[in-house]
This record gives sequence, structure tokens and C-alpha cells, in this order.
Amino acid sequence: MIVTRSWLSEWIDLSGITTDDLVKTLNSIGLEVDRVHKYEIPAKIIFGRVLDCEKHPDADKLNVCKVDIGTSVRQIVCGASNVRTGLDVVVATIGAVMPSGLVIKPVKLRGVESEGMICSASEIGLEDCQSGIIELDKSVGSYELGQELCTNPTFNDDLIEIELTANRGDCLSIRGIARDLSAALGRDLKERNTEDSNDDRRIGIGRILSLTHEKDLHVNLRYKAVDLENLSLPFVVKLRLAQIEEKRETDIESLMLYATHSSGVILRAYDYSFFCDKEETMAKVELSEDENGYAIIGSKEKASTIGIIQEDDSKVKYDKGTVLIEASYIPPDIISKQMFVNKIPSGPMYYRTSRGSEPELNQGLDFCLNVLEENSESSIYGGTIEISDSYDEKVVSVTKKEIDAIIGATIEKAKITKILKNLGFNTSKSQADTFVITVPRFRHDIVNKQDIIEEIVRMIGIDNIPSKPFVFTEANRFEDDYFLFKKKRFFRHKAASCGFFESVHFVFDEKKVLNGFGFETTQEDLELLNPIVNTLDTLRPTLITGLLKAASQNKKNGYASVRLFEVGSVFSPLREESLKMGLLFSGDKEQESLLNGGKPSLIDFGTFVQKVADVIGDFELQEYETKHSLSHPYQSAQILIAGEVAGELFRLHPNVEESYDLEATYICELDFTKIPFTLKKAKSYSKYQASFRDLSVIIPREMRFSQLQAVIDALENEELIRYYPVDRYTDASLGENISLSIRFVLQSQEKTLQEEDITSTMDAILEAFKTNLGVGLR
Amino acid sequence: MKEWYDAIKEAQSVEKLEEIRISVFGKKGVLAAEFAKMKSAVNEEKAQLAKELNTHKAALTDELTQRKVVLQTLELEANMKAEAIDVSLYRAKCQSGGLHPVMETMDRIIEYFVAMNFAVKTGNMLEDDFNNFEALNLPKYHPARDMQDTFYFKDEMLLRTHTSPVQIRTMMANKPPIRMIAPGAVFRRDYDLTHTPMFHQVEGLLVDEEGKVSFANLKFILEDFLKYMFGDVEVRFRPSFFPFTEPSAEVDISCVFCKGDGCRVCSKTGWLEVLGCGIVDPNVFDAVGYKNVSGYAFGLGVERFAMLIHHIGDLRSLFEGDIKLLEQFQ
Repeated sequence: MIVTRSWLSEWIDLSGITTDDLVKTLNSIGLEVDRVHKYEIPAKIIFGRVLDCEKHPDADKLNVCKVDIGTSVRQIVCGASNVRTGLDVVVATIGAVMPSGLVIKPVKLRGVESEGMICSASEIGLEDCQSGIIELDKSVGSYELGQELCTNPTFNDDLIEIELTANRGDCLSIRGIARDLSAALGRDLKERNTEDSNDDRRIGIGRILSLTHEKDLHVNLRYKAVDLENLSLPFVVKLRLAQIEEKRETDIESLMLYATHSSGVILRAYDYSFFCDKEETMAKVELSEDENGYAIIGSKEKASTIGIIQEDDSKVKYDKGTVLIEASYIPPDIISKQMFVNKIPSGPMYYRTSRGSEPELNQGLDFCLNVLEENSESSIYGGTIEISDSYDEKVVSVTKKEIDAIIGATIEKAKITKILKNLGFNTSKSQADTFVITVPRFRHDIVNKQDIIEEIVRMIGIDNIPSKPFVFTEANRFEDDYFLFKKKRFFRHKAASCGFFESVHFVFDEKKVLNGFGFETTQEDLELLNPIVNTLDTLRPTLITGLLKAASQNKKNGYASVRLFEVGSVFSPLREESLKMGLLFSGDKEQESLLNGGKPSLIDFGTFVQKVADVIGDFELQEYETKHSLSHPYQSAQILIAGEVAGELFRLHPNVEESYDLEATYICELDFTKIPFTLKKAKSYSKYQASFRDLSVIIPREMRFSQLQAVIDALENEELIRYYPVDRYTDASLGENISLSIRFVLQSQEKTLQEEDITSTMDAILEAFKTNLGVGLR
Repeated sequence: MKEWYDAIKEAQSVEKLEEIRISVFGKKGVLAAEFAKMKSAVNEEKAQLAKELNTHKAALTDELTQRKVVLQTLELEANMKAEAIDVSLYRAKCQSGGLHPVMETMDRIIEYFVAMNFAVKTGNMLEDDFNNFEALNLPKYHPARDMQDTFYFKDEMLLRTHTSPVQIRTMMANKPPIRMIAPGAVFRRDYDLTHTPMFHQVEGLLVDEEGKVSFANLKFILEDFLKYMFGDVEVRFRPSFFPFTEPSAEVDISCVFCKGDGCRVCSKTGWLEVLGCGIVDPNVFDAVGYKNVSGYAFGLGVERFAMLIHHIGDLRSLFEGDIKLLEQFQ
């Protein structure tokens, strides 16, 4: 909602209030100021009058004007097509510095002296509201020739853009804002005299128009008729419409908009002939209800849907002839329900009508006709034709105690009464400590106690309420969700300290790409209805693709080593949400440095497994074929934690690495709930020395370490506390076999193991290898 | 004997010194030879000679020991010098990863409210119309629904536009009093320089007996919270409108960039809007079946907090996993 100081001043006296104070007041009463623009017309730009205007002898498009600038008459050459004798204009005199930086100097234009410039609106920093030069008229207020523009309130103006909240339909007009300001500033609203003193002498509207309606509808309508003649919009109206960034085809439409923006009343102009049947001289307007809401019907064709949209055929095409002007009001909840139920396409009026337009129709109609009469030779028909819906006054009761309790401070009764009165609320029925409040009809948003209290809070200013700590009953509030938060935080910190950067991606992803990689996405009948772009058209079933895209981008940005992780939600085809942790390691194992001669090696399976273990704790791997096609078929595994499947870990398929332009890349995705996060329990540990023995066994190339593991574990030797592979060796002499060295750690709880104890254990292991797997020492 | 004293003094290495020691003290050494001469000497002369030789023996031993210490020290020094390192080659560059500034900011926010004895509650991102809108005093035809452009699914489910449905669900499942925050991702159909289709919120709710919870209480906790998050800032409350609270307010802090003088970030106003809050609307309590209660609620965007606190200029960069940004938060 855009207002200007001068426009507001037509409804409320703002003298003595600076624009900064005005902005402060608007903010403090909940009308949030978004933007302030101060028009600064430079000095030496003055009011002038064209006394004489002749064609330039040597240039078709130029005119040589004699311009009265108060103190003297100057010759000015002007190129605008609308310059003419008798016109009052804006003149930039010698020495004026234009907003563009141009300095006005005496010049010769095609041999003719010119001492100044006659200005257009944009040349002096105003909105472009008129083609050619500004044509001044009485709408800018009184001025003297030679007076500087910056001393005239129409030009020395400030524009304020207010971001209105959806409940404040009553402030969608200049008058509405002025009304709220009047309560805040304690200044009266300037009400206009709405009596038409000539009304009796006019031809009655009843002679040319009848209004019928089939049943009672929740709408107020009021019509006036005008024989339109020579309407010319005053300069101020043109300027203000440009300031609110609105433009209409015809002057009469522009005038309707101007009156609506000024008064808040929904106004519409119709071509009278649209309502006339060929044979009849009397126009008939019919109100009825159709599938789109309330329709205005003329000679069997629809003219408009009230409060929403007007049909083109019923609009006034020329600024001449008989015109019907309609003011309308529908309660906002009725119109927004109609819109919702009937799915009607929204029209230009809907923004106002759905938030609540001004119900006092005369305010708009009279304002509009006043401007019309002053700026045209039109004749207005007397009286109005109207329909009014019944209206029950809204009454809300609230006690002083309730007000004080919700605000948290004691507010004086007199102060409350004054605030309510200033806002137009009637409190005359109040008793003792109970306020019985009649709500003015334009405040559609006020229905209950808290609405009233909100008004009081607004007007006393929240900053004037002292803060108070809340006293509450102690309670233990550690619940499951809190522990999940703690667990996330713990593992995120661990991942970060292990070298991974946390990334956050949208939970949206591209269906086509995901399906292409073999991921199942949201079931078709449960899919997103209105994705924002087609690359984010489904819910992600995995964190992997997001990490992959980010890795690729980082590589392009010159990072040779990319380590990323995310803890986030993914969705099953049935849209069940679950929490996953994804880790990605791509490219160089470490940063280039002295330690690696500037040539770090690439990340490998073993190093990545170690990194992941550093983050999530111990796990085992098991060969696995992933369901998607992102993985290297011979380097992919399932992660087992304490024997339970917790996720997958794999190298990216070489083709995928290539298509994402990545070096060796390893990825792991875990079901976050499967990562253990419990308090640790200490085990007893041996005080005796541990012994280490290595065994190198020759095994077939295809034999898995897990097979050896199964054999060793089956021995259930308590003294064998740990074992792990330490070397894998192949050469030609071994043929299809490999040599695998395993280191065994032996330790007893009771004693230091003797050589014979160790030998017997190692022999038992070898024996088991031989009998179960047929393999032995090198 | 004098030449041996000189030899010891001039010895330049521990090895040379050892050679000298053997030449002097060894079985075939100089001292042994001198002592042997004593055999041919007579009484007094013998005693005199023995005394002389013993003095030499002790003095030479001292000389040797001292020289050895000197030489060892020199040798260690030389060895260490050979190990000299250009320490300036080794700049301590942290190679750990880092936490995402939005998540880290969210953690800080949660930390504050946990310390203030709020419970942490989470919920699903997929929601239904009732919990996301209807129960929050946003009936289907309400114009305020324009404020929140929503992602819908074909079966009329939607992605939550705020974390308020978590509050509705918590109220439906528990009896008052309630004291909770709901952190999490939320979704609006908006994608430009200053909007992303997904962002994060923390919302808070307090419900207690009727007449107990006031706007003054809300002011207290939010002023304290904002000072905890942003340091020494001024806090301003402006009346506003939200369908689920009444009275409602928007909360501004004095601009953290220009300290209130007016700059590009605060659009020359000197203030930054950071929070929405209010007294819970009675219609919300009606929707969850609460009677005779009062409460306050508030909500904030975590991205905005993170951007203001860490001076991050581009909202969209937060969702790109861009290490250029992330490595600054190691």
C-alpha cells in the first residue's frame, strides 16, 4: 500500500509531524513501513506561464516560447508537443542542477536563444505521469509564478510504502491509513461534506435506471449516473496514479481507481448502453447469483462479478456518454469463501474485497463524483439507486482484568476507553470493569477479546510494556526428540573433526535422474503436485545424489580433495520419512604439502573405511550389490554394526565418476538410527603382556578373509584377543594364489603367556585352516 | 708429559680423545711406561716420582673428562644443527571439516531454550491441512494463506510451511502446561535471491493456566534470547498480524552491520526483522481442545539468523555444499 504525505494530508492534519516521526508511528501501530522515498526537487525549478508560443523558424519540432517566470519573461525553446500559449509549466531556470546532473545554462538552439528549460515529470525526478511537459492546474494547490516547486507541498512530498498484514483490509486506502493514524496521533479525521447541495435540482436517476434482484444477497450496492462530458484528469491525480504504479485505459477508469485508492470503496464504471434493451429507454440492472458469485446482469449479458472482475463489454470505452458508477461492498469472508468454493480466477479487485473493502459506500461515491464534477462538464443525475444487506453490529465484551493479564501490565481504564474511542469503537454500554465494545463495520478483523487487546497493545506501543520473566513449574523436559538432537550433534561434530564438511541440501531432487540410477522415488499417486522447478520434482530417497552434485561443483571450483557429509531426511516411495547420514570422500586423500611432495595419493577403499569408522565407530563390511547403479560392482559393501545392517559403502562406478567429472570417489550412506549411541561400559582388561605373532597363509585368490575369520572365530580361544590382516602379497610363483599375512594378538587374563602356550594356539589355528579350508603356511 | 696436556686440549673429536686416552692410560701407554721406570728408582726418588706421576694421572683424567664433555656438547650441537627445520614451511592449516553455519546456529538456538527448560520436539515434514493450517486458525479460504505458498501432493498432503504443526500435535498428545521448541526444515514455494524452497525454523510455544502467560513474559524471553544470539543489540517490538497469535508482533534488532545508522542490509532503516511472535489465538486452543489456558508462541528463520551472525551474503549458497563457504567454519 503506497501513500504520500500530501495525499494523507487530504484526510488528516500532519502539520508539525516530520516524515521520520510519521514512519515511526506507522511502524509502532503495526503498519510496517517498507520504503520511504523523499522527492527532492532541486532549487531554481519554478512555476512559470507560457505567454506566447511560436514555431521555431528553423526546426519543425521546436517551439519558441515567452515564459513568465514571475520576476521577468524569458525566451525558452521547447520541444514538447503539448506546449501551448496560456499553459502553466515547470521551468528550470539558469543555474538549476537537474536530478540527472545536467546544469541549465543559456544556449542557442538552431540559432535561437533559450534561457532555461520547460520540464517533464521525469526530468524533475517525479514518476513519468504525463507525456511531454507537465501541464499544471489548480490541483497542485496555490502558487505564484516564480515560486520554487520545492516549497509546494504537492511537489515537496514523501512517498511511504507500507507492507500491510492480511487482516488490515481497512487500511487499503489513504483514508483508512489516515483513520488509523488519527487514533495514534490523537488528531481528528478530516471528514468531507458528503451532502450534495444541488441534488434536488438534478434529474433523478430513477428516470433512467431500475435495479432488480431475485433474492436477498449479502451485498451492498449503490449506483449513480452521469452524462460524461470533457473529463480531463487533473495533474495531481495523474501523478498519484503513477506513484502507486497503476495505469488504466480510459480517464474514467483511472478516476475510479483513484477514488478507490483514496476512499477504500470498490468503485466501477459501466457503459450505460450495455444495460439498455433496443426498444426500451430505461436501463435495467439485475443482480443475481451465479456459479461465480454475485453477478450484475445487463440486457441478458453479464456485466461483472461483484468484487472480483468486470466483463470488457460493459466497460466505458470513451470518456463521453452516459455512465453508471457502482459502489459495492461484500463482507470479505463471503467473497473469499465464494472464491475458494467456486475456484474463480482472481480479478484486480479481489485483493481489496477479500481483505475487506470500505462498507461506507458514500465515502467513495461522493469523493469520486466530486473529482468528476470539478474536472469535467458532466452532469450528474440526482439521487441513488441502492440495495442494502442487513447488518448485525458486532459486540465484544472484555474485562479490565483480562486485558491486564494478557498484556502483563496494568493499563488505566481511562486510557483503554480513549484508545477504543479513537479507533472508532463504541464503548458506551460498558459497566464497571467490563468493556462492552461495538466494533465499527470497517474492522472486519475484530471478532474476539484478544482482537480488542491487540488494538490496545498497538496503540500503547509494545515497547512501553515492561518485560517480565515467566514463573513456571520445574519439569524434566529431556525426551526422545532431545536425545535425537544430541545424537545428531555428537556425530556431526565427529564427522567434522574427521575432516568432513557438513552440507545441507533440499529434500527435493530430480525424479528422472534418480530413477535413471535405479532409485525408487515417491509413488506416482502420492507425488508432488506443484514442484517449483522440474529438477526438484520429487522427494529425495537418498542423500547420495545431493552429495555427488556438491562434490562435482567443488571439483570444478578447484578442490582436489572433497569431503562432505549430511545428516538429513529421505523419503520412501510411500513418503515415509527417515533419517540418514551420508559421507562422501572424493579425490586426493589429503592436502598437497611437503609431506607428500605435493602429490597426495587418491582416496582408497581402506582409507575411506577407516575415516568412516573414526566417525561412527566399529563396523564390519560384507560384500553387497547395491540396488542402485551408482556403485563400482566390485567395491561395494554393506555395513554391519553389531551384526545388524546399518547402511552401504562403495566406490562410485567409474562411468559415474567420469560423468560427474570426479576422481576416485567413495560414498557411504547410513541409517542414522542404527548408529549406536549409548553409554559405554568398561570391560576388565589383562594386566599381563600381550604377544604378537604373524601368520602368512597361501590362499586362493577368490577366497575371502571373512572365510578365514569364520574359522578363527569358531575356535573360541579366549587368549586370542585380536587379529587383523597386515599384508597381502602376490607374485608369479604363487599362480592363482595369494599370500595373506595375519597378525594375531594373544593375551591372557591370568598370566604372561609362555612360548609353548602361544605356539599351541597358533598350531590350532593352522590346523583349523587346513581342515576347514585346505590352506596352510607359505 | 706436557705434550699430552696439549694433545687433550687440541683434540677435536670424541674419537681422537679416546685415542689419546689409550695412548696415555692404556697398558702400553705413557703412564704405564713411566710407572715402569719407578722400578729402577730408589726410595726417596721413588716416592717423589710416584707422587709426580699420580698428580699427572689425576690431572690428565680431569682434563680428559672435561674435554670430553666439551666435545660431546659440540657434537650434539652439530648434530642438532644438521636437523634444523625451516619452521616457516609448516603453516598450521586446519584440515578438519566443519559444521554447516545454519545447523550450528540451530544448535545454539536449541541450546538456549534447553537451558531455559524448554523441551525439544520434532515432527514429520509431510503434513495434512488440519495440522498445518486449519488448527492454526487458517481456514481454507483465509487470505493469509497467500502468505505461505505451499507444496501440495496429489493426495492433498503437503510439506509443512512452518514447524507449527509440531506444536499442534504436541498439544493434542499432551495436557498443559507445555513448554517446547520445534526446530526443523520447512517448505515454501518460492525460489529467488532471498527465498529458497526449503529453509529452517525454530518455533516456540508456552501454555499454562489462563491469566498466567502475558505479553510481558514473551518480551522478556525474546529480549534475553536475542541478546544471547546477537550480543549487545537493541530490540524493538512492532505490532503485526499472524493468524495463530493475537496480539502479534514482529521483533527487530538494531542492525548488526551498521549499529543502527542505516545501511544496505537494513534498507537504511537501522533495524533488522528477525522474529515473529504473539499471544496464542483462542481459536488455536479451541482446535486442540484446550480450555482455560493462556500461552505465547514465537518463530524464527534459522538461515536469516546464520546469515546475520556470520555475515553470509547469499542465501542460496547455504544449500550448495560449497567448500569455499564451509571451510570458513572449520
